[in-house]
Amino acid sequence: MSGAVEYFQYVLAPQMLIGLVLGIAVILVALGLTIIFGLLDVINMSHGEFYALGAFIAVALGTIGLPFWLLLIFVPLVMLPIGYIVERGLIQRVFHTSERHVTTLLLTFGLGLVLEDTFGLVFGPNPYKPDIPIAGGVEAFGIFLPSYRLFLIVIGGAIIAAVAFMVYRTRLGAMVRAAAYDRHMAASLGVPVQHVYAGAFAFGVALAGLAGVLLAPIYSVFPTMGRDFILIAFTVVIVGGMGSIAGVVVAGLVLTQVQAIVSLYISPVWSDPIVFGIMVAMLMVRPQGLFGRLGHG
Amino acid sequence: MRASHVLVGILVTASLIFAAVGAAMNDTFYLRLATEALIYAGLALSVDILLGYTGLLSLGQALFFGMGAYLSALVLMIVPSFWAAFAATAIVSAIAGLVGGFIVNRVRGAYFALITFGMAQIAAKVVYNTRALGASDGLIGVPVININLGIASISSASPAAFFIFVLSLIVIFYVLSAYLLDTPFGRLLIALRANENRVQFLGYRTMTARLAAYVIAAMIAALSGALYPMLRGFVSPELLFFATSGNAVITVVTGGAGTLVGALYGSLLLTLLKSVVGSYTEHHLIVIGLLFMGAVVFLPRGLMGVVRPAIERMLARETKP
Repeated sequence: MSGAVEYFQYVLAPQMLIGLVLGIAVILVALGLTIIFGLLDVINMSHGEFYALGAFIAVALGTIGLPFWLLLIFVPLVMLPIGYIVERGLIQRVFHTSERHVTTLLLTFGLGLVLEDTFGLVFGPNPYKPDIPIAGGVEAFGIFLPSYRLFLIVIGGAIIAAVAFMVYRTRLGAMVRAAAYDRHMAASLGVPVQHVYAGAFAFGVALAGLAGVLLAPIYSVFPTMGRDFILIAFTVVIVGGMGSIAGVVVAGLVLTQVQAIVSLYISPVWSDPIVFGIMVAMLMVRPQGLFGRLGHG
Repeated sequence: MRASHVLVGILVTASLIFAAVGAAMNDTFYLRLATEALIYAGLALSVDILLGYTGLLSLGQALFFGMGAYLSALVLMIVPSFWAAFAATAIVSAIAGLVGGFIVNRVRGAYFALITFGMAQIAAKVVYNTRALGASDGLIGVPVININLGIASISSASPAAFFIFVLSLIVIFYVLSAYLLDTPFGRLLIALRANENRVQFLGYRTMTARLAAYVIAAMIAALSGALYPMLRGFVSPELLFFATSGNAVITVVTGGAGTLVGALYGSLLLTLLKSVVGSYTEHHLIVIGLLFMGAVVFLPRGLMGVVRPAIERMLARETKP
């Protein structure tokens, strides 16, 4: 019996906590992705690069001496206008073609390539590792957790709750949901649909940037950082149901736990194929995902 | 379609001149680079059959390309025969395409893109972590082969001869696909892109047509991939990565989706661009990415959308008395 407790305390629980931190991180990135898909019907292939952009802005501003706490507020504020311009200037140009899914996907894919190579040009290929803002650790029930990771879990949870509150409980969120459900009806009722679209895209991109700032001290910052991360974020969005906020939270937590626990028993290199396998299986069996779309119930 | 044939004719003539000049100057590097461009053109051709005609965006065509390359390398290391490698790749890719087609054809649009992407990603990770397939190093030491064509024999080590051989194969792929898309089956595929529901109302089985298009594309991609180890003497997991699939999509969209010939010109253009820009800076992706974005926004039919109408006008003038 004590063997099982020790196994939980020293093996399973730490692994699950690592999984939880990753899960929160993935959810933060996937939230923006799912809002953009749910509202605009756009698969944002450059989302990972916006995540990286947030981290790089943080690194650049950090070297001129801005404190981490200020960056947490400042970087999303910088990302908002960038996202707004990208939506109005680029995505709207191909938004009204008959094959919107394909053209917007291609356009954002190209944008991702350009952004990623630009990071390499400006910052070089080597990773940056910002200092961890909160040193030390916390120990509870014999389980040790670095303070910054605990902070990440708390603030990540708070951000997710705030986003859910905004979408489901505020007037602004009601406009977004109305536009997602029926854009023409929403427009005729006085919702400024064009601005809601651009605003939602900017919001999603800003969330990715915020995730970039928060995760930079843990995962370090390099030009292709978005690429590895976006795969799991896409999987989470698909499994949860494209455009579903609850779906992203549930799928994000479950999939990262699967990944974390599976890594205990088989080589961690196989955790990626397993997660992708779940994604492919989900697309085959239930392409709409676990939960319904944004604005539909 | 006739204008495309003229453009392919121009391409073949130019390539033959290029090969003659290259052989006369004893060049290896540029001939090998051009051969590689042609091999990637075959991959792009398969993407165009799906994207340009059937309206299905595959973000995982590298799955079949890489499979063909690995299979061909494995066969060549046991039996150094071109035809054995070619036949094995054709058979296995047809089966794999059928199995893959059943999986991916359950969904449409953006979901199709994501499921192909996911499948290729699984395959890439599996190969990357499998010791028997060389893991991250890939397979090296694929022997030089002599391709027995009955009347003559071509060595894969001879740059000019192998270039012409690859050129003829890719042109055969082009001719076969162009012919197929001109048959009633091809019209069905084009109709699928326009409106799949109506095709069903007309009494066609859309599943069979989509599956057939997927299998054909898989075979062309795999057979193009099978040429890769003959050219380079090795295969690496990079051939299966998303960058390979993504490049093929960029090639097709820049060259002109739905033209077939756009895939060939696009591949040559991108290879040229990469080696020219690449000689100044390693950041050629910025240039290619911007070019690609420009094509998506301003040229929905790519480069061929600009070039082909001019040729069509010329052809129309000739046929009129």
